[in-house]
Amino acid sequence: MNGVSVVGVGMIPFGKYPEVNIVDLGWPAVKAALKDAGIDGKRIEAVYSGTSRGGAMTGQRIMGRLGLAGLPIVNVENACSSSSSAMAQAVLAVGSGAYDVVLVIGVEKLSKYGGGTLPMDEDDWEIGLGLTMPALYAMRASRYIHDYGLTLEQLAGVSVKNRKNGALNPDAQMKKPVTIEEVLASRMVSEPFTLLQCCPTGDGAAAIVLASDKVAKQIRQDAVRVRASHLTSGRFMTGFRDMTSPEITVRGAKETFEEAGLGPEDIDVAEVHDAFSIAELLYYEAFGFCPRGEAPHMLTSGATSLGGRIPVNPSGGLLAKGHPVGATGAAQIVEIVRQLRGEAGARQVEGARVGLTHATGGGISGFDHGACSIHIFQR
Amino acid sequence: MAVEATQTRPRPLLCGDAAERDAAGNVVLVGGRCADCGARAFPRSPVCTGCMSENIVAERLPRRGTLYAFSSVHIAPKKWKKPMRIGYVDLEGDVRVFTHLAGGEFSIGDEVEVDIGAVGEDEAGPIECFVFKRVPK
Repeated sequence: MNGVSVVGVGMIPFGKYPEVNIVDLGWPAVKAALKDAGIDGKRIEAVYSGTSRGGAMTGQRIMGRLGLAGLPIVNVENACSSSSSAMAQAVLAVGSGAYDVVLVIGVEKLSKYGGGTLPMDEDDWEIGLGLTMPALYAMRASRYIHDYGLTLEQLAGVSVKNRKNGALNPDAQMKKPVTIEEVLASRMVSEPFTLLQCCPTGDGAAAIVLASDKVAKQIRQDAVRVRASHLTSGRFMTGFRDMTSPEITVRGAKETFEEAGLGPEDIDVAEVHDAFSIAELLYYEAFGFCPRGEAPHMLTSGATSLGGRIPVNPSGGLLAKGHPVGATGAAQIVEIVRQLRGEAGARQVEGARVGLTHATGGGISGFDHGACSIHIFQR
Repeated sequence: MAVEATQTRPRPLLCGDAAERDAAGNVVLVGGRCADCGARAFPRSPVCTGCMSENIVAERLPRRGTLYAFSSVHIAPKKWKKPMRIGYVDLEGDVRVFTHLAGGEFSIGDEVEVDIGAVGEDEAGPIECFVFKRVPK
């Protein structure tokens, strides 16, 4: 594999844009990424576009709007990992030597569904019987509480930390900090989760320009190197599985660290898939940021807050920045690239050199998750 | 005529033929066992995840199991009875079942037993499915 770097990133602030169609959500993010890279759009040789609910040919529609169609465009659907999976394909394409400059898009419009839980495919056995995404994560939480004595206040602390970070991020959907009391007093969704422990429904778009070693430094001197790019699917299991240790992320993390030649101790900043409060805690352990059962302590110690040993979700994460599902992975990469370039403003992780992104998703029977894509970046 | 016959037939269970009654009238779940490699699954699938064999036989599952995890769900599509209590139950033979829970309070590790109950309602009337209930200690 040849070396691959990120030379441009852009996104629109996550939020609710009921009047804007998905194409008009997407193109401003692409234009921002091109401007950030300082290149003409005609230099893009291929596009990998991720959306879960955006419909057919979303990539073509966005590139067509900008007058940049007429090149290979691949649309990727992998639920919440759609644009991080698109990124993995783009890294392979540049790494193989096929292209020198490619574009990754992540875009989603969830406001079209109104409120409530995300509609799921009832052809799936468990969804057909009534399983919802909050309920799936809530069962993980119930088991973690049982096995490790996590308290409801500790669980609510994840939302407090991430909302505090979101308040420092102009691109976040939820910019108001909250207290533990407010989190626990908000409306019950799926026990033990109250509303403020569930990611909001929203819309968004993010884009990334990747370049080969051959051209990256000509485009941007401070190109951010892709140290590892990993994609996997969950294993299908009909019997026992430990819901406090999602195998897809445990396995994905191990393989990603091997590819990078790095370990959890080398990560300075991470964006992980905190769709619900419990998820962030499970991922501290899945990535080896702390031993099994110690995530609540790691959170309350401040180690994962801004200024801590390894700040997690400085952008506000899915809980505060928002989770327009297909756009999430790309937006995590935007955040980490900004952190590694020192452009993250009030939420800057001082001296960050190595950053990690993790987007996993797909609530389908028999799997912890359908897909998981992890990336490690270095400046 | 045919329409009339359809209208008088009771509504099928939400889980289809994955639950039935045994000779004694007790509800039992019906899973699949691979006749070639012995792997078990619920619900029954036409192909084995262990060896890709299509030689799958229906097999009644143990009526009792252990509650692995659960949640009381307050926000969910309209048709479900709320709060909707759902959980995962582990049966002997390494089969995990996603299920609605009926009656009483639950704790992880509870012994539970399968039955049939109403889990929701839509324009066609009550929705019935297998459920698990706590076995009194």
